[in-house]
Amino acid sequence: MTDHRRPKGSFCGRTRREFVWQTGMGFTSLGLIDLLSRDGFFSGSARADGDAPGGYSNPMAPKAPHFEPKAKSVIFLFMYGGPSHVDTFDYKPDLLRYDGQTIAVKTKGRGGSKNEGRIVGPKWPFQQHGESGQWVSSLFPHLARHVDDIAFIKSMTADSPLHGSAMLQMNSGRILSGSPCLGSWVTYGLGSENEDLPGFVVMLDPVGGPISGAKNWSSGYMPSTYQGTILRSQGEPIIDLSPPEGVSDAMQRRLIDTLNDYNADHLADRADQSDLAARISSFELAYKMQMAAPEATAIDGEPEETKRLYGLDDPKTENFGRRCLLARRLVERGVRFVQIYAGGAHNDDNWDAHTDIEKNHNYHCGRTDKPIAGLLEDLKRRGLLDSTLIVWGGEFGRQPTAEYEKGTGRDHNSFGFTMWMAGGGVKGGVSVGETDELGSAAVVDRFHVKHLHATILTQLGLDPDRLSFFYGGLDQKLVGVEGAEPIRQLI
Amino acid sequence: MKRIGLPLVLASLLSAGAVPARAQDPGGPDANAGQADFFVESVRPILERSCFRCHGGAGKTRGGLDLTTRAGVLKGGDLGPAIDVEEPSASLLLEAIRYEGLEMPPTGKLDQADLDILTRWVELGAPYDEEHSSPAPAPEEDDEAISEEDRQFWSFQPVRRPEVPSVHRQDWVRDPIDAFILRGLEEAGLEPAPEASRETLIRRLSSDLLGLPPTPEEVEAFVENDSPLAYEELVDRLLSSPHYGERWGRHWLDVVRFAETNSFERDNDKPAAWRYRDYVIESFNEDKPYDRFVREQLAGDELEDASAESIIATGFYRLGAWDDEPTDRLQARFDELDDIITTTAQAFLGLTINCARCHDHKIDPIPQRDYYRFLAFVANLKPYSYDPSHILTEIASDEERAEHDRLQQDRERREAEINAALAPIEARLLESVPEPRRSMLKEGTFEQRRHVLDGIAERDLSPEELSSYRELIRQWQEIPPVPPLPTALSAREPGPEAPETFVLIRGSAHAPGDPVSPGFPEVLGAPDPVFETPTEGAASSGRRRALADWIASEENPLTARVMVNRVWHYHFGRGIVRTPNDFGFQGAMPTHPELLDWLAAEFMAGGWRLKPLHKRIVMSSTYRMSSKGNPEALADDPTNDLLWRFDLRRLSAEEIRDAMLAVTGVLNPKMGGPGFYSRIPKAYLAGQSRPGAGWGDSPAEERARRSVYIHVKRSLVTPILASFDAADTDFSCPVRFATTQPTQALSTLNGELLHEQAAALADRVRQEAGPESDDRVRRALALVLCREPTADEVARGVGFMEALRSEDGVEPDRAFELFCLMALNLNEFIYID
Repeated sequence: MTDHRRPKGSFCGRTRREFVWQTGMGFTSLGLIDLLSRDGFFSGSARADGDAPGGYSNPMAPKAPHFEPKAKSVIFLFMYGGPSHVDTFDYKPDLLRYDGQTIAVKTKGRGGSKNEGRIVGPKWPFQQHGESGQWVSSLFPHLARHVDDIAFIKSMTADSPLHGSAMLQMNSGRILSGSPCLGSWVTYGLGSENEDLPGFVVMLDPVGGPISGAKNWSSGYMPSTYQGTILRSQGEPIIDLSPPEGVSDAMQRRLIDTLNDYNADHLADRADQSDLAARISSFELAYKMQMAAPEATAIDGEPEETKRLYGLDDPKTENFGRRCLLARRLVERGVRFVQIYAGGAHNDDNWDAHTDIEKNHNYHCGRTDKPIAGLLEDLKRRGLLDSTLIVWGGEFGRQPTAEYEKGTGRDHNSFGFTMWMAGGGVKGGVSVGETDELGSAAVVDRFHVKHLHATILTQLGLDPDRLSFFYGGLDQKLVGVEGAEPIRQLI
Repeated sequence: MKRIGLPLVLASLLSAGAVPARAQDPGGPDANAGQADFFVESVRPILERSCFRCHGGAGKTRGGLDLTTRAGVLKGGDLGPAIDVEEPSASLLLEAIRYEGLEMPPTGKLDQADLDILTRWVELGAPYDEEHSSPAPAPEEDDEAISEEDRQFWSFQPVRRPEVPSVHRQDWVRDPIDAFILRGLEEAGLEPAPEASRETLIRRLSSDLLGLPPTPEEVEAFVENDSPLAYEELVDRLLSSPHYGERWGRHWLDVVRFAETNSFERDNDKPAAWRYRDYVIESFNEDKPYDRFVREQLAGDELEDASAESIIATGFYRLGAWDDEPTDRLQARFDELDDIITTTAQAFLGLTINCARCHDHKIDPIPQRDYYRFLAFVANLKPYSYDPSHILTEIASDEERAEHDRLQQDRERREAEINAALAPIEARLLESVPEPRRSMLKEGTFEQRRHVLDGIAERDLSPEELSSYRELIRQWQEIPPVPPLPTALSAREPGPEAPETFVLIRGSAHAPGDPVSPGFPEVLGAPDPVFETPTEGAASSGRRRALADWIASEENPLTARVMVNRVWHYHFGRGIVRTPNDFGFQGAMPTHPELLDWLAAEFMAGGWRLKPLHKRIVMSSTYRMSSKGNPEALADDPTNDLLWRFDLRRLSAEEIRDAMLAVTGVLNPKMGGPGFYSRIPKAYLAGQSRPGAGWGDSPAEERARRSVYIHVKRSLVTPILASFDAADTDFSCPVRFATTQPTQALSTLNGELLHEQAAALADRVRQEAGPESDDRVRRALALVLCREPTADEVARGVGFMEALRSEDGVEPDRAFELFCLMALNLNEFIYID
């Protein structure tokens, strides 16, 4: 029996940790816990839970990063549908010059590939802002005041100009369905700082979820531990968080205590089975979550000034502002990865401005500009911006040309678009990469979604080339088997 | 960065006119000093600026390419040498920097001056300065050659039946399996765990074979049956239950990543995918030989005795995710084929051939060529499509077709009769319709005439005439529609001629390399299949049949091993090889290699039948061991690799739901047919871009069916199944996770489903156990735990209800419901000893 190719110093050809995932065992099995402890798997999770017999460790317990991190948490502001870069941050004076003219320009969107089109000039004036002189259109008057904290990537590219696959790529790195999402990778790599709250939280727009729904926060081939949990900004924050009507806290406590008594008897004969102990602990954790989640989401107690900062006093900005404020409260409490969707469902319910760019973007920018500015300001004054990485963008951008014969609607564009980051150790007041003079495609310092992902992981102290999960015969990585560089100009 | 004019060195080289005379290796160590200067002054700055970061500098060699030395350039990366010394203009490096296929550097195309310099440099044979100009590496003998050592890897060896080992404790050996296990234990000085109790055994068997708990009555009967045949009779009874196929069919559905929708934006239904699910369940229930099961799924349409059943089996090819608006159609076609061969190779062969799509497999001896040779077997499949002719095959039996014809004739006859009776009336009515509409209507359909003539009839006909007119129309409308002939989601090929298959460079559909013909992985040493000239008009190429025959052959070293290992894995919670989809170098080594081979040999000798294999395994002493720990063994073998005890196991997601429905008494045992929609709370539907889209309402009795019949929608998984680690549907799932998370506890404490089931359990027990609290508690626990509860356990439950009453003012009935909720949350319910 030959075993000659197996790399030395690993456990069946991979790390012990991956081995445990691969075999799909309840990874709390005693022997494995022991094995893993010796392997340093649980280092960084020194937290001993008094309620947990048998050495149970929560899979979401914090894990040591690969190197000293800049950021501890991520808030990903997902502008679903694809905001237009040429109307927001990527200033292209030539577009004004050609406005209304049909010229040669290569585009590819839902309407297919075209070689020419009618230019639609930006519908909002651009101005330079801040000491760094970043260009921002009048769509983002509040945000414009924060450009010195923002790093723009104006040369983003993605592989698909169609929502379904592009959403999957922005969230999971691949245009095909089935891979774990960014938030899953991050919590797989780092766990979460607060075990009483989910580590990967998704807040949807009230109009609906994004295309492909739960695929956008799925843990794919990883354990379900790492899938995103939907957090609702109103009503019960987490599904099934509170007992049904008629079951008081005292009753529930009594029920759990009785359950613990039966389970303790059952465990007594099986003291070495740490899976059983783990499940006993999980009820205590759930009970604590029932306390912690409402506390974390109770924003009514925030000062009025803070509420106004996020635009909670204006019906237009109230909903997105509420979710931004919630995001701050979550990262404050150690939640690792928060994703907020601006826009949901289809067409103009999100940034997908096919028919009228003005109407669409006035609406979506109007809902989000002040809350995002408020979030940046609030994080900064609380000293949280340094440890919180903010990511803004959609699954792609939009074309410089009109989609139809009439009107200002723009089709999708994955050849070039803008995203930005702030906080979390990212340089402020910088802009990297360029699109061509029309904004139709990235030409200078082009970056791909995988570079964005690599940058996020790097800021969190994870090496994008090393963060891997063994599945299907491969060391799968968020950034692809080839690995990817972070965008060094920003960090 | 723009340059004005060419640097001096380059200019002088260009002005030299003809390319220097071709030496053996023009840019090699003997390259002249001018060339070295050219490299240092003009080329290296470009490489440093734009290439080294990923290719050689800072320890990174992406794609295996190191550009910092000449040897690295000549050796090249995953795609081969970066420059072609013989034909420089065809160099990969030039293709890449010109953005022809590859696009390097990826951050943006070099400007023209840089391109010119690098082009010239490549034409010169890529000279380096002396320091970095080590001689070209001697070409390796044959890069793709598979070594003798590779061929000797354990899983590539033919299955040989090992001798059954002799052991000391012969009394423990009920089956040769036990001898293999016991020998390992004796060598390690460990004792096998004692036999589990009868209650434990019936619960273990019932869950394992049926996925359902035994009833208290079944437990009692078994415990009290002291016949020496009691255990065997129980095993036989369970193996012949139709629930067996539902349980074991579900395992296979995991492996083939069964789902009934396409994923992506629309996530539309796959037509009649449930037929494949039923096919799998029925195949297990009828104990279809596994080699036949393989042949039907891979080539059911190409078999001599193809039938509706075997055509349904080829639905195997249509189960994957499918993007109906791919951004790159050609690439998407190869993604589809990749998904198919990835699943095929992992499911049937335990080979991760998928790793060789872009380059040679990094670990296993599978060259990239093997991947495309394997792909060639399925390359003639029509792509998945909304077009029924691509994916559907009519599967009517002769009787069904005769019946269909009869109904069709009936219908036509009835229509003719009514038309005849209507004709005179219609003729009159038509008179008031002007030409040309009149003529058009005469030729038109029944419905078109109604549209125009009904109004005229109302106006022109007498009441009697009108009523007989209407009566005829009513009769017409009541003629029953003829149901369409049944179709199956299936493999379809356009004809016998398969397209040529090429190695795709770096896996890119746009970069075809050498052509290949269908062939098996070289390391396994099987001769290439020989295809007869396809008969004119044949429906398919016969290639899948060749693949199926090779996989389902006794000579194939992997097929039987992989399947018996899966069976072992599901019985014991882990395989003899712990990586059931990977029997390659990176997979786990077998803990009991001889046992695996012995089982594989027995399996094939017994006609590839699963039920005798199950029976042998569950009859063994090994299977009957208790799950209890003992300190000595825990210290020596904490992970139980030697199998000194039975491993405790958490119920799977489906089992948790099914066991709950069974103990609460609402389980609907209806088998087969279209799936049902479970009730999914609105809060989950809110995550969809069209909340509720693609999900229906099923009546309560349908919703009480087993979980294997829940409609499998890729983007909307029933919450309790998702929470308890149901199989991912986009990739083959060889091993289920068994996670423990607080959100599971939230759903089982607070969720709608659990409260509904707790109420159902309370109702059932109230009817069965009378009015006394202790009787009710006893009965509820007996149902949930499959054993008689102790007096203390009963007293604790009664005490809980008392406290709810006295302390929290809860009504007795509600208190009992909460007790039932507690009972359904017990560890003992969720875990099997």
